[in-house]
Amino acid sequence: MSTGDESGEPGGDQILAAEYALGLLDEAARARFATRLADEPELRRELRFWQQRFADLDGEFAEATPPARLYEGIEQRLFSGALPASAGLWSSLAFWRGLAAACLAVAIVGVGFGLWAPHAPLTGPELATALEAQGSDVSFIAIYNQAAGTVQIAALSGAPVPDKDFELWAIKGKAAPQSMGVIPVTQSRNIVLSPNLKQGFDAGTVLAVTLEQKGGSPTGVAQGPIVAKGVAIPI
Amino acid sequence: MSQSTADIADLIARTALRDRAAFRALYQRTSAKLFGVTLRILKDRFEAEEALQEVYVKIWQRADRYVAGGYSPISWLVAVARNHALDRLRSRRPGADTIEAALEIADRAPDPEAATIGKGERREIENCLGQLQNDRADAVRGAYLDGFSYEELAARYKVPLNTMRTWLRRSLMKLRECLSA
Repeated sequence: MSTGDESGEPGGDQILAAEYALGLLDEAARARFATRLADEPELRRELRFWQQRFADLDGEFAEATPPARLYEGIEQRLFSGALPASAGLWSSLAFWRGLAAACLAVAIVGVGFGLWAPHAPLTGPELATALEAQGSDVSFIAIYNQAAGTVQIAALSGAPVPDKDFELWAIKGKAAPQSMGVIPVTQSRNIVLSPNLKQGFDAGTVLAVTLEQKGGSPTGVAQGPIVAKGVAIPI
Repeated sequence: MSQSTADIADLIARTALRDRAAFRALYQRTSAKLFGVTLRILKDRFEAEEALQEVYVKIWQRADRYVAGGYSPISWLVAVARNHALDRLRSRRPGADTIEAALEIADRAPDPEAATIGKGERREIENCLGQLQNDRADAVRGAYLDGFSYEELAARYKVPLNTMRTWLRRSLMKLRECLSA
C-alpha cells in the first residue's frame, strides 16, 4: 500500500527511480511511475542513472550452467512452427496435470475395486494426493493407508537428477516439515511411517518433494527447492 | 569496448536479423550468466530453467530493441533476465501483476547519457555501498540481486515494514549523493 507516500519527500523522484529500478514499488506506484516516464525526460535520466549504477553489481550474479536440454526447448518454442499444444505436449504442465488427475482417478477407482492393491490390506481410511508444482517437470501420486500406516508413492513424470535426490516431506498444519525419506522417480515405493509420522497424518496434510543433495538433506530440514507438492484428501 | 563485449553486441545484432546460428552462439556465450540471474532471484531450479527459456524467447523477439552503445550488451541481457525473473516472482505473490508495460517504455527510451551503462565500474557502487552500514548495504544488494520486496526485507531484518522503507530510502539517498559526488 503506497498512497502517494513516495512524493513530497526530499529527493522524492530520485528515490522513486531507485525503488523502481530495484523493483521495490508496488503495482500502483509502479504503474504511475511508468506512465510518467513517457513524458518526463528528467525522470528517465534518473532511472538510467540508477540502472547503470546497479548494473555494475551484475558481476555478483554467479554463473550457473543450465542443463543441456534447455536450448532445444527454446528452439522448439521459437521455431517448431507447430501448435504449442502439440509441440510442447510432453513438457506441458497442463498435460501432466491432466494426466496426474486421470491417473489419480484411475488409482482411486483401482483401489476402490481392489484392482491396484497397495501392499497392505485395505482396512482403514485412505488419503490420496497428486504432487506437482508450477515450472517443475516431476510429479507424483501418493496414497496413504491409515490402518497400515503406509504411504505408497509413484512418479508420474520426471527423471533422476545427477548428484541429487528427491526427498519427501509431510507438513502437518504449521509444524515443521518431517522427512519421509528419499524417493526414487523410476519406481514406486511403499513407505512405512514411523509413529511420529503417523501422528496427526490427516486430510489436509501436505506432502512435498524437494530436490536435495545425494542421500537427502543432512540436517533434517529441507534445503532444496520444492519440485512437487499436494494436499492429502480422503478418497 | 572489449573483444568479448563487441562479440556479444555483434551476436545480438545478428539475432535481430533472425540469424539462428548467431542466436545459438549468443545462448552458448551468455546462458550461464543469465541462468545465474534467474536462479538467484527465483531460488527454485525448475522455475529458473523455465524462466531462462522464456528469457531467450524474449531476447529473440526483442533483439532489435537493443541499441548498440546504449547499454553494455551483457547488462542489457542481464536486465531482460532480471526483469523477467522479477515478474515471475511477483506473479507468485498476492496481488500479482507484471512490469511488462513499464519495460516497454524503458526499453524504447534510449538516452545518450546512458552510454556508459554497466561498464563494469563496480568499484564506484562498491565503494558507496561500503559507506553504508553493513546491513543496509546488504538490503540494497538483496533488493537488486535477490529481488527481495520491502516485506521480505522487513522480515529478514526483523523490523517493521515502515522502518524498512525509511531505512532503505535513506540508504538510497546516501548512495545517490555518494554516486554523484
